[in-house]
Amino acid sequence: MRSDLIVGMAGSGGDGVVSAGESLITAAALEGYHAMLTKSFGSQIRGGESSCRLRISTDDVFNPGGTLDVAVALNWEDFLKFGAELPVGGHTVVIYDTKTGVPPDRIPLSGVTPAEVLAVPIADIAKQTAGTDKAKNTVVLGLLAGWFGIARAGILAGMRKKFGKKSPEVLEGNERAFAAGIAYAEEHPLRSAWVMTPPEVGNGAQLLTDGNEICAAAAIFAGCEFFGGYPITPSTEIMQFLNREIWKYGGTVLQAEDEIAGVGAAVGASFAGKKSMTATSGPGMSLKTEMLGLASIAELPLVCVNVQRGGPSTGLPTKSEQSDLFQAIFSAHGDAVRPVLAPISVEDTFRLTVEAFNIAEEYQTPVILLSDQEIAQRKETVPSINTSGISVVDRRRPTATELEHYERFRITESGISPISRPGMEGGNYLASGIEHNEHGAPTASGVVHARMNEKRLRKLNPLKRRRDLFLVKGNADAPVGLISWGSVAGVAMEALQLAQADGLQVKLLIPKLLYPVSEEVYRDFFASVQAGLVVEQSHQGQLHRVLRMMVNVPDGMESLTKSGSNPIVAVEIVDRLRSMALDLQRRRVPQFEPRE
Amino acid sequence: MNAATAQAVEHHGTKDYQSDLKPIWCPGCGDFGVLSAMYRALAAIDRPPHEIAFVSGIGCSSRIPGYTTAYGFNSVHGRALPIAQGIKLANPELLVLVAGGDGDGFSIGGGHVPHAIRRNVDLTYIVMDNQIYGLTKGQLSPTSPRGLKTASSTYGSLEAPVNPLLYVLAYGAGFIAQSTPADMVGLVSIIEAAIRFPGFAFINVQSPCVTFGQPEAQLKAHKAGMKSLEKMGHDPADRLHAMALAQEYGAELYTGIFYQNPQPAPTYDDLVRQRQRELGSAATPKDKILEMFRPN
Repeated sequence: MRSDLIVGMAGSGGDGVVSAGESLITAAALEGYHAMLTKSFGSQIRGGESSCRLRISTDDVFNPGGTLDVAVALNWEDFLKFGAELPVGGHTVVIYDTKTGVPPDRIPLSGVTPAEVLAVPIADIAKQTAGTDKAKNTVVLGLLAGWFGIARAGILAGMRKKFGKKSPEVLEGNERAFAAGIAYAEEHPLRSAWVMTPPEVGNGAQLLTDGNEICAAAAIFAGCEFFGGYPITPSTEIMQFLNREIWKYGGTVLQAEDEIAGVGAAVGASFAGKKSMTATSGPGMSLKTEMLGLASIAELPLVCVNVQRGGPSTGLPTKSEQSDLFQAIFSAHGDAVRPVLAPISVEDTFRLTVEAFNIAEEYQTPVILLSDQEIAQRKETVPSINTSGISVVDRRRPTATELEHYERFRITESGISPISRPGMEGGNYLASGIEHNEHGAPTASGVVHARMNEKRLRKLNPLKRRRDLFLVKGNADAPVGLISWGSVAGVAMEALQLAQADGLQVKLLIPKLLYPVSEEVYRDFFASVQAGLVVEQSHQGQLHRVLRMMVNVPDGMESLTKSGSNPIVAVEIVDRLRSMALDLQRRRVPQFEPRE
Repeated sequence: MNAATAQAVEHHGTKDYQSDLKPIWCPGCGDFGVLSAMYRALAAIDRPPHEIAFVSGIGCSSRIPGYTTAYGFNSVHGRALPIAQGIKLANPELLVLVAGGDGDGFSIGGGHVPHAIRRNVDLTYIVMDNQIYGLTKGQLSPTSPRGLKTASSTYGSLEAPVNPLLYVLAYGAGFIAQSTPADMVGLVSIIEAAIRFPGFAFINVQSPCVTFGQPEAQLKAHKAGMKSLEKMGHDPADRLHAMALAQEYGAELYTGIFYQNPQPAPTYDDLVRQRQRELGSAATPKDKILEMFRPN
């Protein structure tokens, strides 16, 4: 019996490996398993090779995992293109189509001897049973259901739903293909009997979705009524979801002519009094940057989502990377500070999107939600979220008294000025990108500019005390510290579990508020730390560098970084932590003098 | 504009639209004329200032919202139209005006014009066209004639100018007019007609730059050379003839309405409201929105 199973599948665009993954995760979720499905495509976004990786577990799943337990290659050429994304190891069961013509002892995986290699006539079975090799993916599902004892009923129900409408013949063909896959698995049992432990009872009440869709749903929950944007991978699903749903809530989606117009319309809608949002990826962020400066000086609430991908430029548009942190923090022209939030999972994306709206509204500022492709496009089981416990904040409107002598940019103790909107009598003012006095009148006065800068930055100070926007886990006095953010934080959480199970004393800090930098939180975390790692999916390690700029980072804090599309796995983090802990012990040896 | 909200109890005079800010344009700037025409047109429309949003980009002419008592938005260079569309879609009850210069509208922001027009958002867009960049002290503008010597074209421009009238006609705007502060009565009535037009309305105002503009493009020359389309017998419903006339941009100064669609197309903001009404009953309560992610 196993409690954790990682399956990777790859094929050509039309082979349906991703749709097989979708069927399997839906069925697993219905059975009550925790699961995560990541999809990966070639750089062409549409067409070319595609793959998916599914992790099913009886416990929480924090990340897609490392080496595959089961690798399915519909053809080797496509499988090999995914390289480190679909790593095969000594315990992996490799399944591939006999049609590839490769004998089991000659599979093109150099330097690895998998536990078992099975050539299965996948395409032939599909043709014989369903009359078309389009049912290859259904045969694969049958094999997996047969060998691992999972999701049979759910897959069948899913097929009925999917094909039942199309035509009874297609459904029957697929049912036969599925049954044939199961039968093949039963006739050819694996040497290692790998059957999944049944999930805990009562875990059926969970949700299944991806980061982009839950982000969009959170926007509606938070009261967003306007979205302006432009399609860009991997953020487009946010716009698409809102385009399906937001009208029902009195909102509007504008697919603009470009990234600038998208954010511009959102800034306009915010000025007009609506909670508004835009979403994009790195190159689009570059285009939106001027408009974010406008929102900063005009003090207009705005949520701007950047679903990070590999960069610069078109870079790796379908792969995750955490290389836009510098851009998020530093791309402002002028002395503008924009709060930057980064979710660590699909579930977290819901809460943090609502938080982004709340911060934007409360502090009248643009907020950057720094998601990444990994979280945005992977499907996860999500425990039911009790939304009644999540508060929604609205911007501070002027009172009737304040409207008598209204000053839009009044310098208050908090730095937050009541904000009117067109249509509000007495609240008339000029919003502007040019520096302005408290009334909103343009000015070039150095005195006013300094006071306004001070106000606009001071109003964000309370954010630095938001300890709830950080996760601290592990041994409080541990000498070894681990810091990670965004999707990679899920890998770090598993690394922490593995390290602790291995007897290592480690603590983990996950910042979800990346900017402004909360010095106190880091100071407390570093108090006992003599060595450690900041783990990030980027070449430079941008958070590590930001921290070294803003806070006192212990000398022993190192950086573990990888460029996008080179997955970071928990065991390599644990290895580094273990050697760091050993180094620390070794350094203590000369000071240790046993009593005579 | 929306007729239902236009029933102001008290009537507004030109003074009600004048802010305390003193315009800092050069003495004799054409934009003064546009501003006073604006006050008069707004008084004729008689919407309370707080129901008006007046958006601009960057440039001398883009200062204009601050000189009115409307809610103003002096935004960034070239982006007045996207911002104005966001405002109108967020609150269709507002009267939304947009203003800027020829650089704002046909150079840096030129990409936004066709899209605002094809969406037909109910906006009035006034371009103060002076064929020069005045704010930055006299560089080439997209409407500068070929050969013009400016601070940024020492030996004369090598480029042909854009033709704003022809562009906007071709983009499919429902209302296109041209005027000049040399014809104040005409300018006021055109702004008023543009505001009353249900849909995207465009006015190209030849608004001379006294400091950096060409001597032959000043108000005096306008007064002498301008030709009224109405007096010429042009039928504003005749789009093809309007295009023929628009081709003479730069050579002739025609004033009046080039084209006004006699059967205005539905506006984007109306269509948005219609969709919201149609789909509104299908909404899951917001606190139950996650239910749609239940696997089945």
